[in-house]
Amino acid sequence: MASQDARALETFYDRYNRVAFTLVLRIVRTREDAEDVLSDVFWQAWQQAGRYDTSRGKPIAWLLTIARTRAIDYLRSGSKRAAETEFDANAPVEPAERSTDPFVLAGLQHAVKTCLEKLAEPQRVALEMAYFEGMSQTEIASALNQPLGTMKDRIRSGMMHLRKCLKPYEAPL
Amino acid sequence: MRHQQLTDELQEKAILYAAGALDEDERREYQRHLDEDNCAVCRGEVRESEAAAQSLTIMLPMQTPSESVKRRLMERAEASSLTGRRRQSAERSRPAFAWGGWLAAAAAAVLAVVFFNTNAGLREEVESLNRRVVELESEMTTQRNLVAMYSRATTVINLVGQGSTPQARAKIYWDEPGRRWNVSVENLPAVPNDRDYQLWFVPRTGNPVSARVFNTSATGSAMLDIPVPPGVTALMAAAVTVEPAGGSSLPTTTNGFALLGAIP
Repeated sequence: MASQDARALETFYDRYNRVAFTLVLRIVRTREDAEDVLSDVFWQAWQQAGRYDTSRGKPIAWLLTIARTRAIDYLRSGSKRAAETEFDANAPVEPAERSTDPFVLAGLQHAVKTCLEKLAEPQRVALEMAYFEGMSQTEIASALNQPLGTMKDRIRSGMMHLRKCLKPYEAPL
Repeated sequence: MRHQQLTDELQEKAILYAAGALDEDERREYQRHLDEDNCAVCRGEVRESEAAAQSLTIMLPMQTPSESVKRRLMERAEASSLTGRRRQSAERSRPAFAWGGWLAAAAAAVLAVVFFNTNAGLREEVESLNRRVVELESEMTTQRNLVAMYSRATTVINLVGQGSTPQARAKIYWDEPGRRWNVSVENLPAVPNDRDYQLWFVPRTGNPVSARVFNTSATGSAMLDIPVPPGVTALMAAAVTVEPAGGSSLPTTTNGFALLGAIP
Protein backbone atom coordinates (compact mmCIF):
# COMPACT_ATOMS: atom_id res chain seq x y z
CA MET A 1 0.00 0.00 0.00
CA ALA A 2 2.67 2.52 1.04
CA SER A 3 4.53 1.91 -2.23
CA GLN A 4 1.38 2.66 -4.23
CA ASP A 5 1.06 -0.93 -5.41
CA ALA A 6 -2.38 -1.39 -6.97
CA ARG A 7 -2.39 -5.10 -6.10
CA ALA A 8 -1.89 -4.25 -2.43
CA LEU A 9 -4.89 -1.97 -2.63
CA GLU A 10 -6.94 -4.77 -4.15
CA THR A 11 -6.00 -7.11 -1.31
CA PHE A 12 -6.80 -4.46 1.27
CA TYR A 13 -10.13 -3.75 -0.41
CA ASP A 14 -11.11 -7.40 -0.66
CA ARG A 15 -10.44 -7.84 3.03
CA TYR A 16 -12.19 -4.83 4.49
CA ASN A 17 -14.67 -3.47 1.94
CA ARG A 18 -17.73 -5.01 3.57
CA VAL A 19 -17.20 -3.78 7.09
CA ALA A 20 -16.26 -0.33 5.82
CA PHE A 21 -19.26 -0.27 3.50
CA THR A 22 -21.55 -1.33 6.32
CA LEU A 23 -20.36 1.55 8.47
CA VAL A 24 -20.58 4.07 5.64
CA LEU A 25 -24.04 2.87 4.61
CA ARG A 26 -25.25 3.12 8.19
CA ILE A 27 -24.19 6.75 8.26
CA VAL A 28 -25.14 8.02 4.79
CA ARG A 29 -28.13 5.63 4.45
CA THR A 30 -28.31 5.13 0.70
CA ARG A 31 -26.33 2.59 -1.27
CA GLU A 32 -25.51 4.97 -4.10
CA ASP A 33 -24.05 7.56 -1.73
CA ALA A 34 -22.36 4.87 0.34
CA GLU A 35 -20.61 3.41 -2.70
CA ASP A 36 -19.33 6.83 -3.71
CA VAL A 37 -17.99 7.42 -0.22
CA LEU A 38 -16.54 3.91 0.00
CA SER A 39 -14.53 4.45 -3.15
CA ASP A 40 -13.15 7.69 -1.72
CA VAL A 41 -12.35 5.97 1.57
CA PHE A 42 -10.15 3.32 0.00
CA TRP A 43 -8.61 5.83 -2.34
CA GLN A 44 -7.68 8.05 0.61
CA ALA A 45 -6.31 5.05 2.51
CA TRP A 46 -4.18 4.10 -0.48
CA GLN A 47 -2.92 7.65 -0.92
CA GLN A 48 -2.12 8.06 2.78
CA ALA A 49 -0.78 4.58 3.46
CA GLY A 50 2.73 5.97 3.73
CA ARG A 51 1.61 8.05 6.69
CA TYR A 52 -0.10 5.22 8.52
CA ASP A 53 1.06 5.20 12.14
CA THR A 54 0.93 1.74 13.72
CA SER A 55 0.89 3.30 17.17
CA ARG A 56 -2.55 4.72 16.38
CA GLY A 57 -4.14 1.28 15.99
CA LYS A 58 -4.61 -1.63 13.62
CA PRO A 59 -5.14 -1.05 9.89
CA ILE A 60 -8.85 -1.87 10.12
CA ALA A 61 -9.27 0.65 12.94
CA TRP A 62 -7.43 3.23 10.88
CA LEU A 63 -9.61 2.44 7.86
CA LEU A 64 -12.84 2.69 9.84
CA THR A 65 -11.75 6.02 11.26
CA ILE A 66 -11.29 7.28 7.71
CA ALA A 67 -14.61 5.73 6.68
CA ARG A 68 -16.53 7.29 9.51
CA THR A 69 -14.95 10.71 9.00
CA ARG A 70 -15.67 10.62 5.28
CA ALA A 71 -19.23 9.49 5.78
CA ILE A 72 -19.97 12.08 8.45
CA ASP A 73 -18.49 14.80 6.24
CA TYR A 74 -20.71 13.58 3.41
CA LEU A 75 -23.70 13.57 5.68
CA ARG A 76 -22.97 17.13 6.82
CA SER A 77 -22.51 18.26 3.23
CA GLY A 78 -26.29 17.96 2.90
CA SER A 79 -27.09 14.88 0.85
CA LYS A 80 -30.83 14.93 0.09
CA ARG A 81 -30.90 11.21 -0.30
CA ALA A 82 -29.49 10.71 3.18
CA ALA A 83 -31.92 13.15 4.72
CA GLU A 84 -34.90 11.44 3.13
CA THR A 85 -33.89 7.89 3.85
CA GLU A 86 -34.27 6.00 7.10
CA PHE A 87 -31.67 3.41 7.90
CA ASP A 88 -33.10 -0.10 7.61
CA ALA A 89 -31.90 -1.85 10.73
CA ASN A 90 -33.84 -4.93 9.76
CA ALA A 91 -32.02 -5.53 6.50
CA PRO A 92 -30.91 -9.16 6.26
CA VAL A 93 -27.52 -9.97 7.70
CA GLU A 94 -25.36 -11.94 5.30
CA PRO A 95 -24.35 -15.34 6.59
CA ALA A 96 -21.09 -15.25 8.49
CA GLU A 97 -19.67 -18.22 6.60
CA ARG A 98 -19.72 -16.16 3.40
CA SER A 99 -17.77 -13.37 5.01
CA THR A 100 -14.06 -12.87 4.69
CA ASP A 101 -13.85 -10.20 7.39
CA PRO A 102 -11.37 -11.51 9.97
CA PHE A 103 -13.28 -10.54 13.08
CA VAL A 104 -16.46 -12.13 11.76
CA LEU A 105 -14.60 -15.32 11.01
CA ALA A 106 -13.25 -15.29 14.54
CA GLY A 107 -16.75 -15.33 15.95
CA LEU A 108 -16.34 -11.93 17.44
CA GLN A 109 -19.67 -10.79 16.16
CA HIS A 110 -21.32 -12.94 18.75
CA ALA A 111 -19.13 -11.53 21.48
CA VAL A 112 -19.90 -7.96 20.52
CA LYS A 113 -23.57 -8.74 20.32
CA THR A 114 -23.47 -10.12 23.83
CA CYS A 115 -21.68 -7.04 25.08
CA LEU A 116 -24.15 -4.69 23.42
CA GLU A 117 -27.13 -6.60 24.81
CA LYS A 118 -25.84 -5.89 28.28
CA LEU A 119 -25.55 -2.21 27.48
CA ALA A 120 -28.30 -0.04 28.89
CA GLU A 121 -30.57 1.42 26.22
CA PRO A 122 -29.89 5.10 27.05
CA GLN A 123 -26.14 4.43 26.77
CA ARG A 124 -26.49 2.57 23.45
CA VAL A 125 -28.66 5.33 21.97
CA ALA A 126 -26.22 8.05 23.02
CA LEU A 127 -23.29 6.13 21.58
CA GLU A 128 -25.05 5.43 18.30
CA MET A 129 -26.17 9.03 17.91
CA ALA A 130 -22.59 10.15 18.35
CA TYR A 131 -20.90 7.47 16.27
CA PHE A 132 -23.37 6.90 13.46
CA GLU A 133 -25.14 10.23 13.26
CA GLY A 134 -22.10 12.40 13.81
CA MET A 135 -23.84 14.34 16.58
CA SER A 136 -21.83 16.07 19.28
CA GLN A 137 -22.56 15.66 22.97
CA THR A 138 -24.24 19.06 22.97
CA GLU A 139 -26.44 18.15 20.00
CA ILE A 140 -27.39 14.82 21.54
CA ALA A 141 -28.27 16.46 24.84
CA SER A 142 -30.42 18.94 23.01
CA ALA A 143 -32.09 16.30 20.86
CA LEU A 144 -32.91 14.11 23.85
CA ASN A 145 -33.67 17.08 26.05
CA GLN A 146 -31.19 15.95 28.66
CA PRO A 147 -28.49 17.81 30.56
CA LEU A 148 -25.06 17.84 28.87
CA GLY A 149 -23.47 16.23 31.91
CA THR A 150 -25.91 13.36 31.69
CA MET A 151 -24.99 12.78 28.07
CA LYS A 152 -21.28 12.81 28.86
CA ASP A 153 -21.86 10.28 31.58
CA ARG A 154 -23.95 8.01 29.37
CA ILE A 155 -21.40 8.03 26.59
CA ARG A 156 -18.53 7.48 28.98
CA SER A 157 -20.14 4.68 30.94
CA GLY A 158 -21.38 2.98 27.77
CA MET A 159 -17.96 3.07 26.21
CA MET A 160 -16.26 1.79 29.35
CA HIS A 161 -18.71 -1.09 29.44
CA LEU A 162 -17.85 -2.06 25.85
CA ARG A 163 -14.13 -1.76 26.49
CA LYS A 164 -14.33 -3.96 29.56
CA CYS A 165 -16.66 -6.46 27.93
CA LEU A 166 -14.50 -6.78 24.80
CA LYS A 167 -11.19 -6.86 26.67
CA PRO A 168 -10.94 -10.68 26.61
CA TYR A 169 -11.09 -10.54 22.83
CA GLU A 170 -8.03 -8.33 22.66
CA ALA A 171 -9.81 -5.46 20.97
CA PRO A 172 -11.36 -7.14 17.95
CA LEU A 173 -10.60 -4.35 15.55
CA MET B 1 1.61 19.01 26.55
CA ARG B 2 2.20 15.34 27.23
CA HIS B 3 0.32 13.80 30.11
CA GLN B 4 2.18 11.64 32.58
CA GLN B 5 -0.78 9.69 33.92
CA LEU B 6 -4.38 9.04 33.12
CA THR B 7 -7.08 10.99 34.94
CA ASP B 8 -10.86 10.67 34.80
CA GLU B 9 -11.01 13.89 32.85
CA LEU B 10 -8.48 12.67 30.26
CA GLN B 11 -10.26 9.36 29.95
CA GLU B 12 -13.60 11.04 29.38
CA LYS B 13 -12.17 13.29 26.71
CA ALA B 14 -10.56 10.33 24.94
CA ILE B 15 -13.85 8.42 25.01
CA LEU B 16 -15.89 11.34 23.74
CA TYR B 17 -13.36 11.89 20.97
CA ALA B 18 -13.41 8.22 19.96
CA ALA B 19 -17.21 8.18 19.96
CA GLY B 20 -17.25 11.30 17.81
CA ALA B 21 -19.15 13.22 20.48
CA LEU B 22 -16.80 16.16 21.11
CA ASP B 23 -18.02 19.54 19.98
CA GLU B 24 -16.13 20.83 16.95
CA ASP B 25 -13.78 23.21 18.77
CA GLU B 26 -12.92 20.60 21.38
CA ARG B 27 -12.46 17.93 18.75
CA ARG B 28 -10.06 20.13 16.76
CA GLU B 29 -8.00 20.99 19.84
CA TYR B 30 -7.85 17.39 20.97
CA GLN B 31 -6.86 16.26 17.48
CA ARG B 32 -4.00 18.75 17.62
CA HIS B 33 -2.97 17.36 21.00
CA LEU B 34 -2.84 13.84 19.61
CA ASP B 35 -0.96 14.83 16.47
CA GLU B 36 1.52 17.35 17.81
CA ASP B 37 2.02 16.54 21.48
CA ASN B 38 2.49 12.85 20.78
CA CYS B 39 0.86 12.08 24.15
CA ALA B 40 1.10 8.33 24.71
CA VAL B 41 -1.41 8.36 27.58
CA CYS B 42 -4.17 9.95 25.53
CA ARG B 43 -3.33 7.99 22.39
CA GLY B 44 -3.65 4.74 24.28
CA GLU B 45 -7.04 5.73 25.64
CA VAL B 46 -8.26 6.83 22.22
CA ARG B 47 -7.07 3.57 20.64
CA GLU B 48 -9.01 1.41 23.10
CA SER B 49 -12.12 3.54 22.87
CA GLU B 50 -12.08 3.67 19.07
CA ALA B 51 -11.93 -0.12 18.94
CA ALA B 52 -14.91 -0.30 21.24
CA ALA B 53 -16.86 2.27 19.27
CA GLN B 54 -16.05 0.55 16.01
CA SER B 55 -17.40 -2.68 17.42
CA LEU B 56 -20.82 -1.08 17.05
CA THR B 57 -20.37 -1.61 13.32
CA ILE B 58 -20.07 -5.34 13.77
CA MET B 59 -23.59 -5.57 15.02
CA LEU B 60 -24.97 -3.98 11.90
CA PRO B 61 -26.32 -6.13 9.07
CA MET B 62 -23.24 -6.74 6.88
CA GLN B 63 -23.58 -5.10 3.50
CA THR B 64 -21.70 -5.71 0.28
CA PRO B 65 -21.00 -2.95 -2.22
CA SER B 66 -21.53 -3.55 -5.94
CA GLU B 67 -18.63 -4.81 -8.05
CA SER B 68 -18.49 -1.49 -9.90
CA VAL B 69 -16.98 0.18 -6.83
CA LYS B 70 -13.96 -2.07 -6.90
CA ARG B 71 -13.68 -1.85 -10.68
CA ARG B 72 -13.67 1.96 -10.64
CA LEU B 73 -11.26 2.07 -7.72
CA MET B 74 -8.79 -0.30 -9.36
CA GLU B 75 -8.97 1.49 -12.70
CA ARG B 76 -8.18 4.74 -10.90
CA ALA B 77 -5.31 3.12 -8.98
CA GLU B 78 -3.84 1.47 -12.08
CA ALA B 79 -3.94 4.78 -13.93
CA SER B 80 -2.30 6.54 -10.99
CA SER B 81 0.41 3.88 -10.68
CA LEU B 82 1.16 4.08 -14.40
CA THR B 83 1.41 7.85 -14.27
CA GLY B 84 3.65 7.63 -11.21
CA ARG B 85 5.96 5.12 -12.87
CA ARG B 86 6.22 7.25 -16.00
CA ARG B 87 6.97 10.31 -13.92
CA GLN B 88 9.62 8.48 -11.91
CA SER B 89 11.17 7.10 -15.08
CA ALA B 90 11.26 10.53 -16.66
CA GLU B 91 12.79 12.03 -13.52
CA ARG B 92 15.45 9.32 -13.38
CA SER B 93 16.36 9.88 -17.01
CA ARG B 94 16.88 13.61 -16.56
CA PRO B 95 17.63 14.33 -12.91
CA ALA B 96 19.38 17.62 -13.59
CA PHE B 97 16.26 19.05 -15.19
CA ALA B 98 13.73 17.68 -12.73
CA TRP B 99 12.51 21.16 -11.91
CA GLY B 100 12.92 22.90 -15.17
CA GLY B 101 11.57 21.41 -18.40
CA TRP B 102 10.59 24.89 -19.35
CA LEU B 103 14.13 26.04 -18.70
CA ALA B 104 15.49 23.51 -21.18
CA ALA B 105 12.97 24.69 -23.76
CA ALA B 106 13.91 28.31 -23.14
CA ALA B 107 17.59 27.45 -23.42
CA ALA B 108 16.93 25.63 -26.69
CA ALA B 109 15.10 28.65 -28.02
CA VAL B 110 17.96 30.94 -27.04
CA LEU B 111 20.47 28.59 -28.65
CA ALA B 112 18.37 28.44 -31.81
CA VAL B 113 18.42 32.23 -32.04
CA VAL B 114 22.14 32.26 -31.34
CA PHE B 115 22.81 29.60 -33.98
CA PHE B 116 20.58 31.36 -36.48
CA ASN B 117 22.36 34.64 -35.93
CA THR B 118 25.71 32.88 -35.90
CA ASN B 119 24.95 31.10 -39.17
CA ALA B 120 23.84 34.32 -40.80
CA GLY B 121 26.99 36.02 -39.55
CA LEU B 122 29.15 33.16 -40.76
CA ARG B 123 27.56 33.25 -44.19
CA GLU B 124 28.32 36.98 -44.49
CA GLU B 125 31.86 36.39 -43.28
CA VAL B 126 32.46 33.60 -45.81
CA GLU B 127 31.18 35.77 -48.63
CA SER B 128 33.39 38.62 -47.48
CA LEU B 129 36.41 36.30 -47.30
CA ASN B 130 35.69 34.96 -50.79
CA ARG B 131 35.64 38.48 -52.12
CA ARG B 132 38.91 39.15 -50.32
CA VAL B 133 40.47 36.01 -51.84
CA VAL B 134 39.62 37.24 -55.35
CA GLU B 135 41.10 40.65 -54.54
CA LEU B 136 44.26 39.08 -53.13
CA GLU B 137 44.67 36.79 -56.14
CA SER B 138 44.39 39.80 -58.43
CA GLU B 139 46.81 41.73 -56.29
CA MET B 140 49.21 38.79 -56.26
CA THR B 141 49.19 38.72 -60.07
CA THR B 142 49.95 42.40 -60.16
CA GLN B 143 52.80 42.00 -57.69
CA ARG B 144 54.18 39.12 -59.70
CA ASN B 145 54.06 41.26 -62.80
CA LEU B 146 55.85 44.03 -60.99
CA VAL B 147 58.53 41.65 -59.75
CA ALA B 148 58.91 40.29 -63.27
CA MET B 149 59.22 43.79 -64.71
CA TYR B 150 62.14 44.60 -62.47
CA SER B 151 63.84 41.23 -62.65
CA ARG B 152 67.00 41.08 -64.71
CA ALA B 153 65.89 37.70 -66.05
CA THR B 154 62.75 39.17 -67.55
CA THR B 155 62.34 40.10 -71.19
CA VAL B 156 59.86 42.89 -71.94
CA ILE B 157 57.90 42.64 -75.15
CA ASN B 158 56.01 45.77 -76.27
CA LEU B 159 52.93 45.24 -78.38
CA VAL B 160 51.42 48.04 -80.44
CA GLY B 161 47.89 48.38 -81.80
CA GLN B 162 47.36 47.53 -85.42
CA GLY B 163 44.64 48.24 -88.00
CA SER B 164 41.43 49.40 -86.27
CA THR B 165 42.94 49.52 -82.75
CA PRO B 166 46.02 51.72 -83.14
CA GLN B 167 45.65 53.16 -79.59
CA ALA B 168 45.97 49.73 -77.99
CA ARG B 169 49.08 48.86 -76.09
CA ALA B 170 50.35 45.81 -74.28
CA LYS B 171 53.48 44.71 -72.46
CA ILE B 172 54.59 41.14 -71.98
CA TYR B 173 56.96 40.42 -69.08
CA TRP B 174 58.60 37.19 -70.06
CA ASP B 175 60.07 35.26 -67.13
CA GLU B 176 62.26 32.94 -69.14
CA PRO B 177 63.63 30.88 -66.24
CA GLY B 178 60.13 30.59 -64.86
CA ARG B 179 58.65 30.05 -68.30
CA ARG B 180 55.77 32.45 -67.72
CA TRP B 181 54.33 35.45 -69.55
CA ASN B 182 52.70 38.17 -67.48
CA VAL B 183 50.69 40.30 -69.89
CA SER B 184 49.21 43.78 -69.29
CA VAL B 185 46.79 45.08 -71.95
CA GLU B 186 45.46 48.65 -72.20
CA ASN B 187 43.11 50.55 -74.50
CA LEU B 188 41.97 47.51 -76.40
CA PRO B 189 38.19 47.67 -76.82
CA ALA B 190 36.25 44.59 -75.79
CA VAL B 191 34.92 42.46 -78.64
CA PRO B 192 31.31 41.31 -79.06
CA ASN B 193 30.15 38.08 -77.43
CA ASP B 194 30.63 36.12 -80.66
CA ARG B 195 34.27 37.06 -80.72
CA ASP B 196 37.33 36.70 -78.49
CA TYR B 197 40.84 38.02 -78.54
CA GLN B 198 43.52 35.34 -78.86
CA LEU B 199 47.21 35.78 -77.94
CA TRP B 200 49.76 33.80 -80.01
CA PHE B 201 53.27 32.60 -79.53
CA VAL B 202 54.89 33.27 -82.93
CA PRO B 203 57.96 31.12 -83.44
CA ARG B 204 60.65 31.80 -85.94
CA THR B 205 59.61 28.71 -87.79
CA GLY B 206 56.31 26.90 -87.93
CA ASN B 207 52.77 27.96 -87.09
CA PRO B 208 51.69 30.25 -84.28
CA VAL B 209 50.78 28.56 -81.02
CA SER B 210 47.77 29.74 -78.98
CA ALA B 211 48.79 31.32 -75.72
CA ARG B 212 45.40 32.46 -74.33
CA VAL B 213 41.86 33.31 -75.36
CA PHE B 214 40.58 36.40 -73.59
CA ASN B 215 38.54 39.54 -73.74
CA THR B 216 39.17 42.92 -72.24
CA SER B 217 37.22 44.77 -69.67
CA ALA B 218 34.94 47.69 -70.31
CA THR B 219 37.96 49.95 -69.87
CA GLY B 220 39.90 48.00 -72.53
CA SER B 221 42.35 46.41 -70.09
CA ALA B 222 43.34 42.88 -69.15
CA MET B 223 45.92 41.18 -66.92
CA LEU B 224 47.03 37.69 -67.97
CA ASP B 225 49.36 35.12 -66.35
CA ILE B 226 50.30 32.53 -68.94
CA PRO B 227 52.62 29.51 -68.68
CA VAL B 228 54.97 29.02 -71.61
CA PRO B 229 54.75 25.44 -72.85
CA PRO B 230 58.01 23.44 -73.01
CA GLY B 231 57.79 23.08 -76.81
CA VAL B 232 57.59 26.80 -77.39
CA THR B 233 61.08 28.10 -78.14
CA ALA B 234 62.82 30.49 -80.55
CA LEU B 235 60.02 33.01 -80.54
CA MET B 236 60.17 35.97 -82.87
CA ALA B 237 56.98 37.80 -81.98
CA ALA B 238 53.78 37.94 -79.94
CA ALA B 239 50.48 38.72 -81.64
CA VAL B 240 46.82 39.26 -80.69
CA THR B 241 44.07 38.48 -83.20
CA VAL B 242 40.28 38.61 -83.16
CA GLU B 243 38.85 35.12 -83.39
CA PRO B 244 35.46 33.46 -83.14
CA ALA B 245 34.30 32.99 -79.57
CA GLY B 246 36.32 30.27 -77.86
CA GLY B 247 39.37 30.81 -80.03
CA SER B 248 40.93 29.00 -82.96
CA SER B 249 43.69 26.49 -83.42
CA LEU B 250 45.35 28.85 -85.92
CA PRO B 251 44.79 32.55 -86.59
CA THR B 252 41.76 32.99 -88.90
CA THR B 253 41.53 36.75 -89.03
CA THR B 254 41.50 38.54 -92.30
CA ASN B 255 41.65 41.91 -90.67
CA GLY B 256 45.21 41.66 -89.57
CA PHE B 257 46.48 41.87 -86.01
CA ALA B 258 44.96 43.76 -83.12
CA LEU B 259 48.34 43.91 -81.36
CA LEU B 260 51.79 42.93 -82.54
CA GLY B 261 55.17 42.99 -80.91
CA ALA B 262 58.54 41.79 -81.98
CA ILE B 263 60.76 39.79 -79.63
CA PRO B 264 64.32 41.04 -79.66
